[in-house]
Amino acid sequence: MVVYSFYIFDRHTECIYQKSWLPPPSIQTTTTSSSDNAKLVFGTVFSLRNMVRKLGGEDDAFISFRTAQYKLHYYETASSLRFVMLTDISTLSMRNVLHQIYINLWVEYVVKNPLSPVEHKGGEGVRNELFELGLDQFIRGLM
Amino acid sequence: MAHLAPNKPSSGKESAGLRYPTNGKTIYHRPLNRSKTAELSQASFAYLFSEMVSYAQRKVTGIQDLEKRLNNQGHPIGLKLLDLLLIREPPRSQARPLNIITLLHFIKINLWQHLFGRQADRLEKSSDPEAQDEYMIIDNEPLVNAFISVPKEMSQLNCAAFVAGIIEGVCDGAAFPARVTAHTVGTKDEGEMWPGKTVFLVKFQPEVLEREALIGKA
Amino acid sequence: MTVFALIIINKAGGLIYHRTFHEGGLNKISTNDYLVLAGTFHGVHAITARLNPIPQQINRNSASSAGIMTRPEPPSGLEVLESENFRLQCFSTLTGIKFLLFTDTTQTNVDLTMRRVYEMYTDYVMKNPFYQLEMPVRCELFERKLTSYIREVNNR
Repeated sequence: MVVYSFYIFDRHTECIYQKSWLPPPSIQTTTTSSSDNAKLVFGTVFSLRNMVRKLGGEDDAFISFRTAQYKLHYYETASSLRFVMLTDISTLSMRNVLHQIYINLWVEYVVKNPLSPVEHKGGEGVRNELFELGLDQFIRGLM
Repeated sequence: MAHLAPNKPSSGKESAGLRYPTNGKTIYHRPLNRSKTAELSQASFAYLFSEMVSYAQRKVTGIQDLEKRLNNQGHPIGLKLLDLLLIREPPRSQARPLNIITLLHFIKINLWQHLFGRQADRLEKSSDPEAQDEYMIIDNEPLVNAFISVPKEMSQLNCAAFVAGIIEGVCDGAAFPARVTAHTVGTKDEGEMWPGKTVFLVKFQPEVLEREALIGKA
Repeated sequence: MTVFALIIINKAGGLIYHRTFHEGGLNKISTNDYLVLAGTFHGVHAITARLNPIPQQINRNSASSAGIMTRPEPPSGLEVLESENFRLQCFSTLTGIKFLLFTDTTQTNVDLTMRRVYEMYTDYVMKNPFYQLEMPVRCELFERKLTSYIREVNNR
């Protein structure tokens, strides 16, 4: 399995963390900047999440979708923190992985960090060494 | 008949609109029986027929008018098919049908077999003593209607009016002038099984029955 | 195995057909909500195609290395969506019409079902002279054939 990229959105719909494991794009490939991309990702998962709730009931949860090129996995915590991961299409459900990231990395290294603010405006407090390192190791361990 | 011969390409200018193959052989040069057992795709026919119905619908004044137009589209086909189907018969039965029953059997069996690959489902004479000139050819699911859903506001319409036109052409060509109309008969008990069941009502002109009666006496 | 519902969206994002086959599978929502849903999905589908993280460069290289110059396949939009309660399969035709089939999460062979539904659409909708392109589908035969086919699938 291959992980392409990973995003965290806070309850104010802001992208507070993103990371890509793709080789850096060669010249003139992407026309959209990474922050635009994050907005598109959020718009997509938000619309789909609402659609799923409308059709499947309030207790239903959007898990993943795939196109012919990639698969997107989604996990939402009770505090409206949203974890999104893009992988190749043969990957099975990554819901557990996202949950693990939440429990073992987010809670441990961001929430329990006394220097980290409550609100992560502009990604403040998330980009700390322990979290980044832990995440990278965790993902590379999966691949 | 020299003036009817096709312009050979060697004659220089071709008449606009009509084109002939370079070897001068048109479809009329082919043996008549060559395509006897040939089949064609139902899908291509369905698309063609769909466009024929759409074409007939332009500037139409009502459902009767539309059915009349479909009937007119079928009529020349019937006239020509009568000739073609008779010539393909074995020599002893090549004569054209001489009474109503043989004509209707010819339609039910030969014409249907040629057009739809099967016989019509039933042939009936009207039981109404007032309408002794009426006969019914029944098809449980007409091939032309295979993909057609008639909208509710046009429920009177049956696009098999085109087939009715073909039947009318055959009758007219055999010198049995008649009016042929197509009617949907989804009766309650049979409606479930054959929702598209269609009756082709053949109403012969009075002179046909008169002649029939004279032949019967002789 | 249960098929819950079918939605057909035209190339402009308008809802042209919606039908529920199984009670209790999905929430009952109004026709107006279905219209909104069709429009939303149409937009999301276009965005999901743009989100493709794999650079097109890679495709081009692999194509030229095979010695054949081919245009890379354009990225597809959303094809399958999974939630806890249902599964959504989307089939987008070359002409831009989208078929959305909602099934339960264990449904297998949705591709096959989708194919049959598409075939029925081409037969009983596209070959019907009274159907106007891009307009809502109201074809009795399509309705009837679809109902009996889905009933067969659901009882399998």
